[in-house]
Parts: sequence; structure tokens; C-alpha cells
Amino acid sequence: MRSKALLSTLGAALLLAVPLRALAGVPPAELPFPLIERFEHFGLAQGLPAWKVHCVLADKGKVWAGTTKGLAVLEGGKFTVIGPEQGLSHSVVTTLAIDPSTGDLWAGTLRGLNRISAGKIETFTQTNSGLPNNVVYSVAVGHGAVWAATAAGVGRRDAKSGSWSLYDATNTLMHEPWTYAVTLSPDKLYVGVWAGGIVEQDLARGTWKEYRDPDGEFELDLAPDDGPISDISSWATWEDGILWQASYFGIARYDGTRWKSYLEKKTPLVSNFVNFIAAKGQVAWICTDRGLTVTDGTSWATYKSLEKGGGTLEITRPGAKVETRRMATAASNDFILGASITESEVWLATSHGLTRAVLAGKRGQAAERKTNAQGASR
Amino acid sequence: MRAARLAILGLAGLVGLGFAPAMPAAGESSPVPASAPVAWPARYGNAPEELVPFRRVEPYQKFFTEPLPFYGPGRDAPDPAGLKSLRVGLLAPSPASTDGVRGDMMRKGVEMAIDEANVSKKPGDLPFELVVREDAPLWGSAANILVDLAFTDDCLAVIGTIDSTATHVALRVALKAEIFMMNTGSCDQTVTETFIPWLMRTWPDDRQHGYRLADLVVKERGHKRIAMLRVNDRNGRVGVKTFTDSVRRLGHPVLQEMRFLPGATSFDAQVARIKAAEPDAVVIWGEPEDAGHAAAALRKGGVTVPLYGPERVYGPAFLTASAGAAEGMTITYPFDPTSKAEAWTAFVGEFQKRHAKEPDAFAAYAYDGTRILLAAMRAAGPNRFRIRDAVATVKKYDGVTGPMLFDPTFNNLAPLRLAKVQGNAFRFEPAPAGGK
Repeated sequence: MRSKALLSTLGAALLLAVPLRALAGVPPAELPFPLIERFEHFGLAQGLPAWKVHCVLADKGKVWAGTTKGLAVLEGGKFTVIGPEQGLSHSVVTTLAIDPSTGDLWAGTLRGLNRISAGKIETFTQTNSGLPNNVVYSVAVGHGAVWAATAAGVGRRDAKSGSWSLYDATNTLMHEPWTYAVTLSPDKLYVGVWAGGIVEQDLARGTWKEYRDPDGEFELDLAPDDGPISDISSWATWEDGILWQASYFGIARYDGTRWKSYLEKKTPLVSNFVNFIAAKGQVAWICTDRGLTVTDGTSWATYKSLEKGGGTLEITRPGAKVETRRMATAASNDFILGASITESEVWLATSHGLTRAVLAGKRGQAAERKTNAQGASR
Repeated sequence: MRAARLAILGLAGLVGLGFAPAMPAAGESSPVPASAPVAWPARYGNAPEELVPFRRVEPYQKFFTEPLPFYGPGRDAPDPAGLKSLRVGLLAPSPASTDGVRGDMMRKGVEMAIDEANVSKKPGDLPFELVVREDAPLWGSAANILVDLAFTDDCLAVIGTIDSTATHVALRVALKAEIFMMNTGSCDQTVTETFIPWLMRTWPDDRQHGYRLADLVVKERGHKRIAMLRVNDRNGRVGVKTFTDSVRRLGHPVLQEMRFLPGATSFDAQVARIKAAEPDAVVIWGEPEDAGHAAAALRKGGVTVPLYGPERVYGPAFLTASAGAAEGMTITYPFDPTSKAEAWTAFVGEFQKRHAKEPDAFAAYAYDGTRILLAAMRAAGPNRFRIRDAVATVKKYDGVTGPMLFDPTFNNLAPLRLAKVQGNAFRFEPAPAGGK
């Protein structure tokens, strides 16, 4: 792992991009998402307080990384750490969200929710507030409130009044209140529920709707594209009209009308064990236990590391053969727990360090096309 | 000496392993030879072919066909410095809870296994230390407790619990914390169906009881009009699923399912509806005392057809509450506690010596599960990831309750036994040939 870290650092800015299996004939279609040009690694040597990074959030030049030993903030190339000594409710930071209207950072931990604002930390627990449970798996901000998915339901804290509301099995369609994700659209709340699929609330009407795997069995998926991939949701993300459901049984995509399911081996998804999905536009960045897969549902790119350093990129375009490229660098670890996307980079929380994935951008894509054309002509 | 023999019996049962049991044999030879590699059952959960869901359709995807993997890092992390013991957390029901008696037995089984392991440890080995935390009926409390066990108490692994909700809630934290859970008492079949590779269960679950009961009621006894009287709680709702699905697949769906609240004393409305349905068999599903009252109410209400139930109804409280009304009722049970097998009698003897009473299944499965876990900890050292890997290699284990076969989800698929109420006592039937 250390040698990989060294390679990552020393090898930064290098993209070998050598097609192992060049596409013959016409130049490949342009991908609907940028490719990663290189990975940079941040570990203990760079000031990260722990190897395991549960979540990451990049915002306005700062990168917040929730680790097992506190909340690390990367700014100007240096890490500072906020932990229990500074008032954080627990050292294990599981989830992060920014309030765009105030700039406040909300940090969920294994023992409470924290608001970091103007250099102060305010802590909410199940004993000092309406937080349903101290174990916070997901936090989202929007519609005038902060929403926290906990081990005993969703808590909603009204931004103006500070009052809390509880969403659990008593007042929603979730039959049991173990919640693992909250995500918001302009008019809806979506909750990823353990063994309860996805529960949706129309925020204007207050009405609830439930999406479940129709076959009702955990040991199989009877038919594709029939609803959530499994009733066991591990994460949910809404962006640009698309709801993405993560599970340990694959993923599902819901456009408001139709569900599509994606499974390892049946699609280019690298693993069914999906920890997290970040979305930008209609593209999902899927964090699994065996690498990162990027897709809009039709085109795919998967990044994995290699034992001896570096990694591979597999590109699957509709109707085309899989293209495999070697990369000089790879993510800090293939067990990826979180991602945060900006215009030019994607930050990855992994089980063995924090990763900055630099995107190729338009110039990079042009270079990529050139490389592909050269590869095809060889 | 007896403890030493138990140690040998248990550890010799670990086969198909990637590690060698480290606890001493003290000059005694193993009565249980290592077996050939264990094959997985042909169908998930060892389901009879006719009970497989959607069996006439090839599903888009089958899960749980391979052992649950863990691809994360951590195995090469340096051992914690300054350890004076190897801490094992125990998440157990409080004495005041519904599962209080079971929890007490579970705790005694765990403690006995730990004491024996500490007595027989080699020079230089760190002792095991048990850290006990009570679970609580409040939803979600087990999550907070598991955080404490993993991060405050620095446990290397956790045993627990009996309440299935608490087990599920704790398991999700176990995945975040990356700490292995040995479950020895939850009957909820879905506990091992989450794809989280951080839990093993020694207790045969309700899926197994559902399959066996369906086979018994429909195929062996020929019942066609089946009614059900079950507790209206999570255990009842989740527990009956395999049975109700199975009898439907066998062509005889439950024609009347009536529910009662935990602690119910009146069953008049339910009994009237069941009687009106004219069943030829009734399955009772609930806690022992409630189930006993239900059996008595059925008989008092004129329902004379054969009664059946799963292991959850087993116990003195059932016999007391039913007051003779359950004569002839047949239940499924994980093993035969009246067995004369050497491993079982040795365990019972040692347990009686310590506690002046006989162990029950909760003590026995806790003992077996703890022994599997401790052997893995000895082999793996103080590293949660290597402990997980070591437990995950166990396919078969011959415990004091008999042979266990773990499926790819690390769930025990041991063949079940039948017991009949005769003379206001449970009489166990001989093991069927082939072990259904």
C-alpha cells in the first residue's frame, strides 16, 4: 500500500493511456462524462488523521474528509483536524453536507450530528435534541431544513425554528425505521430504507409513496428493471431528475417513470456491493468495494487498481467492444466509501486514504480522442 | 478436565478452515475427524426444490451463491500496542426484557466458553475479556451500544444478540465499524441476507423451521386446510414468511391467519374465526407463554385438529400455560436436548456444575458460537479483519448441539429435529434418516 502511495505521488501528472485492445474502425463516440486523468493520494504522511475515510465533501477550495479519527480539512495543501477535543460529538465521521444558503457544514457521526459554523461546533444528539438516534448515516440540507437518516428514522430540523420532526414507521410508509440515506429533489424527499426500499415524500402535499423490489425475496432478483434492485438500500442520491439507489445487490436508476437495474457481470458495474453514489448531471459515480464505476446508464467507465501499482480503466460504449487502458495511478484503495464531484476533480473517500481524481476536462478529452485514434491506427 | 474435553470436542469440530484451532488438546485425541471439503447446498437456504421462490422461472440474478467476501484493507494493520487482553463484546438482552431468561442463558454459555479458553490458553497468549452491554427495547439503541463496544471498549469482535431488530441495527454499525458479530440467538432469517460479510449465526433460523414445518404439515401429515395463530410483532410477521410461502407453494395456502398481541390473554375472536374456517391443522407461532395460552384457547374453543409450532414456543412456560391442552402438538427444534451424545452430555454436565441447572439451546448455541469466534481470534490475532477472515472460512463445525453446516452467508443450516408434547413434556423424535 505504501509503495502504491509512493507511486501515486511520484507518478502524478502521468497518464499512460495505452489502449490494450484498440478499437478498430471509426473513432469512438464521445463519452457523456469526463474521464479521470490521474489519481493523487493523501494518507497519514500528508496529515490525514486515519487511513479510513468514510465520506468526503469538496466545497469552495476546502476538502472535508470524515475519517475514523475526526474530520480532516484540507486547505492550501495542509490538513487540520477537528475531533472530539474540539467539540465534535464522535471521532467517526460518517456523512457530510453543506448548507448552500449559510455555508454551514453538517457532519454526521456515529454519536450525533454536528453543525460547524463560524468556527463553532454545535452538537445534536438523541438526548439533547430531536435527532432520532445518535448513529447518523446520511445528512442532507434543503427545503428549509436539515435531514438526518439515523438508525431509528429520519430527523428533520427546521432551519428557522430549530424544531425537530421525526419520520419513522409511525407516520410514513416505511414499515421499520432503519434509514440509511436521505436525498432531496426540488419537490421530493427520498429515504433509503434498510429492507424497505425507497420511501418518497411529496414535500408540498406531505404524501408518501413507497418503492419496493417486487419479487420480495433477498436471495434473488426475479426480473430486471422492475423497481429497486433490492429492498435493502445502502444509499440513495437524486440529481437532475434521476434517483439512484445503491444496495449491496447492485444499483437501480429511476427517472420518475421507469426503473432500470444494473448488476455486476450483467452490466459493466464493477461490483454489486455499492457503498455510495455521487451524481453530477445524469451521471453516477458509483463507489463500490472493488473500484469506481461511472455511468449515465449507457456508457461506462470503471477504475480499478492493480496489485503492483497503477490501475486500469475499462470503457464500455454502447455497441462497442470494451476498451481497457493502463493507468499510471489509481485510487488510494478500491474499497471506496464516498465521493464528491467538482468541475475539475472528484474526491474519493476510501478505506485506505483520501484520493483526488483529476478529470481530463475538454482538453483531456480531446487528447483522449487523439490517443484513441492513434491506437486504432496501430 | 471436563472443560478440557469440551474444548477438544468443540475445536476438533472446526473443519474446512483456513486456520488451525489454537486451544490445547491436553493429551486427548479428537473424536471428530476432519471431514472432506464441504459442498454448498444446491439451493439457497437448502430449500427443497418445490419450495424455491419462482422456481419455474430462471431469475435474473441469484445471490448468496458464493461466500460473502470482504475486499477492504486492514489485514496488514499493526496490532494494537499494549494489549492486556483480547476483548469480546457481548450484546445481550437485559434481564427485565422479554428475552431476559434467554439472554441469561446465552450469557452463561458465552462466559463458560471464555472461561474454558482462558484456562487452557498457552503461555504468552493474552486472555479473553468479556465486555457485557445490555441491549434495550428502544429501536436503534443497539446501534449506539455497538458504537461503544467497537470504539470505546475497543472490542475485537462482538457476540449478540437474541432480539432480531437489535441484531439488524447492530449489524449495520458493525459494517461501518468493521467488527465481526457472532450471532447465537436471532431467529430472523433476514439477518444473514443483507450481504454484510461481518456476521455469522449459529442459531438455525426461521427459514429452516418454515421449510421443515411445511414439509411436515403438508407432505408428511397430509394437511390441506391450514390455519395460523401468530403473535403480531416483528418476530411473528417475519418468522412465518417462509412457512406461509412454502405451504402455498405446496398447494395449500394458509386459509386463515389470525394474530394476537404479545401478552394476550383472550383469544376468543381469533379462535372463532379459525374454527369457522374448518382447518385440519393449526400452526401457533409466538413466545412460549403466549403460545401456550393460544393452544389452550383453541382447545377450549372446540378446535381439536393437530397443532404445530416452531422452536420459539418451546419452554416450560408453554407447558404451564397450555395446561395439558397441547397434547400431541408437534414442534420443530434445532437439536435434541435429551441427546446422549458425548459432546452434549459433557457440556450439560459442566454447565450444571457451574449453574446448578440445565443449559438450554440459547446457552448451547452461545457456547458453540463463542468457541468458533475465540478459535478464530487465537488464530488471527488482535486484528478485526483477520478475525473476520478466519471465521468466514468455517464451513462446518461439530458443536455441542451437533453438526453445523454454514452456507455462503455464514448461516447454520443444521438439520432440525421434531418434538411432540406428550404427558405435558416435549418428547424428541429420533433423527430422521438423511436429516431433513
